[in-house]
Amino acid sequence: MSVASPAIRSTRLIVGLEIHVELRTRSKMFTRAPNPAHPEFEGREPNELVDPLVAALPGTLPVMNRRAVEMSALVGLALHCTIAKRCRWDRKNYFYPDLPKGYQISQYDQPLCADGFFDLPLAGGVKRIGIIRAHLEEDTGKLGHELPGGFHYDGSLVDLNRAGTPLLEIVTAPDFTSADEVVAFAQELRNLCRFLGVSEGVMQKGHMRFEPNVNMAITLEDGTEIRTPVVEVKNLNSFRAVKGAIEHETVRQVEAWKRDGRVMGRGMKATRGWDDVKCETVLQREKEDAHDYRYFPDPDLVPVEIDEAWLARLRAELPEPPLARRARYVKDYGLAAIDAENLTAERDDCLWFEACVAAAGGGAKAGFAIGKLLRNTGAKWANERGVALSALGVKPERVSELFALREANTVGPQAADQLFGLLCDGDAPVQELAERHGLLQVRDDAALERWCDEAIVAQPQAAADVRAGKLAAIGRIVGAAMKASGGKADAKTLNEMLLRKLKP
Amino acid sequence: MNLSDATEIRDAVRSRKVKATEVVSSLVARAKAANAKLNAFHEILEEDAMRQAAAVDAAVAAGRDPGPMAGVPVAVKDNIATHEGHTTCSSRMLENYRSPFDATCVERLRAAGAVVMGKTNLDEFAMGSSSEHCAWGPVRNPWDQARVPGGSSGGSAAAAAAAICGVALGSDTGGSIRQPASLCGCVGFKPTYGRVSRYGLVAFGSSLDQIGPLARTVRDAALTYAVMAGADPRDSTSAQRPVEDPLQDLERPIEGLRVGVPTQYMSDANDPRVNTLIQSSLDRLRGAGASIVPVELPLTDVGISTYYVIAPAEASANLARFDGIRYGHRAPARAGQSLDDLYAESRAQGFGPEVQRRIMLGTYVLSAGYYDAYYGRALKVRRRIKAEFDRAFETCDVIAGPASPTPAFRPGELSDPLQMYLCDVYTVNTNIAGIPGVSVPIGFVEDGGTRLPVGLHLQAPAMADARLLRAARMVESLHASACVSAPI
Repeated sequence: MSVASPAIRSTRLIVGLEIHVELRTRSKMFTRAPNPAHPEFEGREPNELVDPLVAALPGTLPVMNRRAVEMSALVGLALHCTIAKRCRWDRKNYFYPDLPKGYQISQYDQPLCADGFFDLPLAGGVKRIGIIRAHLEEDTGKLGHELPGGFHYDGSLVDLNRAGTPLLEIVTAPDFTSADEVVAFAQELRNLCRFLGVSEGVMQKGHMRFEPNVNMAITLEDGTEIRTPVVEVKNLNSFRAVKGAIEHETVRQVEAWKRDGRVMGRGMKATRGWDDVKCETVLQREKEDAHDYRYFPDPDLVPVEIDEAWLARLRAELPEPPLARRARYVKDYGLAAIDAENLTAERDDCLWFEACVAAAGGGAKAGFAIGKLLRNTGAKWANERGVALSALGVKPERVSELFALREANTVGPQAADQLFGLLCDGDAPVQELAERHGLLQVRDDAALERWCDEAIVAQPQAAADVRAGKLAAIGRIVGAAMKASGGKADAKTLNEMLLRKLKP
Repeated sequence: MNLSDATEIRDAVRSRKVKATEVVSSLVARAKAANAKLNAFHEILEEDAMRQAAAVDAAVAAGRDPGPMAGVPVAVKDNIATHEGHTTCSSRMLENYRSPFDATCVERLRAAGAVVMGKTNLDEFAMGSSSEHCAWGPVRNPWDQARVPGGSSGGSAAAAAAAICGVALGSDTGGSIRQPASLCGCVGFKPTYGRVSRYGLVAFGSSLDQIGPLARTVRDAALTYAVMAGADPRDSTSAQRPVEDPLQDLERPIEGLRVGVPTQYMSDANDPRVNTLIQSSLDRLRGAGASIVPVELPLTDVGISTYYVIAPAEASANLARFDGIRYGHRAPARAGQSLDDLYAESRAQGFGPEVQRRIMLGTYVLSAGYYDAYYGRALKVRRRIKAEFDRAFETCDVIAGPASPTPAFRPGELSDPLQMYLCDVYTVNTNIAGIPGVSVPIGFVEDGGTRLPVGLHLQAPAMADARLLRAARMVESLHASACVSAPI
């Protein structure tokens, strides 16, 4: 029977996000075994990346991977966090077959990074998202029910390849008010981590996993506000799932409140999973704090001490974040926001773009022109070849040469496009390529006259229109002349010449 | 030649007076015979030992340096990983377990020419003070087989005392090297925490555990320690500071040695015969030029309670890996067995009662709502105990007292766990403070027609291991008649 509930005036979504980032160190968090989140070691056979420590053999001891701490601190710095001068490791105790030691080494009350923020650009302006903390821990292994070759196994199989991979857990404040905001943030964070070089950020491979904490604020007709119990949706590894899960909770929680009247409070937090097929969240565990992890400081590890010198080295290592680059492209180069966004979408492409601009001597003109060139011509060729822009094999110096030829109007836009394609096939000085393929702009007046005359003959109607004063018709004749030139003529010159010829 | 004197063996092997293979084969023969009575060894690795000895002989023959422990047979406590033989921790849980690697200390001993001759029995997972709670049967005291050798390094202490090994390795979490050394009449040395790498030691209480030697003489203990000690990149808690060579000045008595004697140590609760022996040893020290200084360690009493919060808490997590999933005992599958059942049954079958008791104790003290009252408080007391030692060492160089309140007792005599825990009353605080301690034989008490050894326990400030061993050597030289091997 449904509980009689007062009428709802409005509802408001509240979301905080936990993000797990697998760091791409070469070795695992506490041992030398290779890390599957590093591209060199991904996709290995089950239990190939296991050493005595990963298997938790008796007598083994953890030794901290300094690089993992550094990568985490880099993320922390990029998120404007305070980096702890001293923090320690704790044991989180629970039994599960994917957790070989019976405890996970994590950071409980002394996280490496705390109190930061991220300025998220949204359509209506920038929204500041609070970062509560970011701490480092080790990932677990995986349980499966499939034998190599895809055969079903009638029990559980443990693969410890992932066990011990360094995992950075970032926790935001409950500052999101829509699923789209969360997704926008998740995408920006992924991009940031890739720019920092701390994670491959391949969602399908689980390099980043998202866990939104969702509840609803419901304002009743009498003005009182109640809040629904918080639901943590576990292990989402696609932006689509993040969006779907939050949107589903937005509806489900209000309906659930109407049914049972339950509100937020101690012991009310539930854990749900995401069903990708049904597109809904499903209950996994009620009453989250029934679990007692018996955290205590790990006596096998010494506290991490980060002195000023170390921090200074990390600050120096910190690359310019993608959002800052994006703003710079708009402000300094005059690129459109959409172009700037596109150029910063992939770290390697973005760095390659900047290398091209640098090769051309930098500056607004080069930035703008090369930006446009890559967004149009470059993107077209990359798309055609099915590779990233930076993987086309074109050297930044060649792009700079191409830019110079265009600037001097030595080659036309069509020729530039062709030249870019030729550069994808093999490296050569662009001037030489243009000469060899006859792509230099023709300035021979006799040839231009001949192409114009041919075009007037080929387009009698348009010619008549122009003569009658309908100047717009000139475009068709210019096009025909350009075609006759094989793209080697300069459109502006043709235009002028045709007007001269057709003017009464 | 004395086959149980590591230094003599080493010298003889290096000078080609004897072959390492000869040393090993005769000591192994003796160990096999004695082991039938003592049960000190779980495993005597004759073939492996002979192979290692042959390699030492080959090095000597080739004119290569065979190392500072050339040909010395070492008995290794069975909670220290060796890639030969088993590493069972005297537990059914690890009955068939073989380690794919050597502990760092074992690796260093081998590199120094020492030979691993076998694995010794202990109280399961080093939890106990009598070596009765061993899955492979109780170890017996070589001076009186009707008595316990102490524990948990009882097998190593019995082997060292009975001269059936060159030296032995033990581990000491609350007295597990020093108390059995006292009860068996050999030298047992627990170095400063972090001085010997714990890599390869099956963890019990990680912040307390320390590996150390048990030997016939202080010199052999110092030699073994010198080979094992030093920073290890595989153990983050190992001390980085360079090791002071304990052999350099070992034979030179410390002039004006100030021996602190806490009033709390000479308690009426001790066996009066033990107190008499300790007193006479202190008198001899004074006669040899040392000054005896009274000191106060009022927190001596709370050591046991503090220890029985910290050690089980750490153990409860350290032993969680024995879950029957990857290795070790796994309960037979049965219909309707859930994952939790599998864990519970495997652990109930694999662990003995004392281990289960401590896991439960540790799990309890770490539980939500109890942490502050128990674990948090124990850590605070721990800091105070450390501070108390620091204060005491302002007026003395070493602190002396009994290693054990009683000589060796009979199996079953301390059936109440709490009574058993009190065996370590004078040794636990050494571990809690992380300082070094050593037990040196100083004489015997007569009991029912048998002689039972008693040791003097010396402690020194952290990192003063060399000083401590020098003081121990002074004590040893004052008690030559006590330093004899057991009549086995």
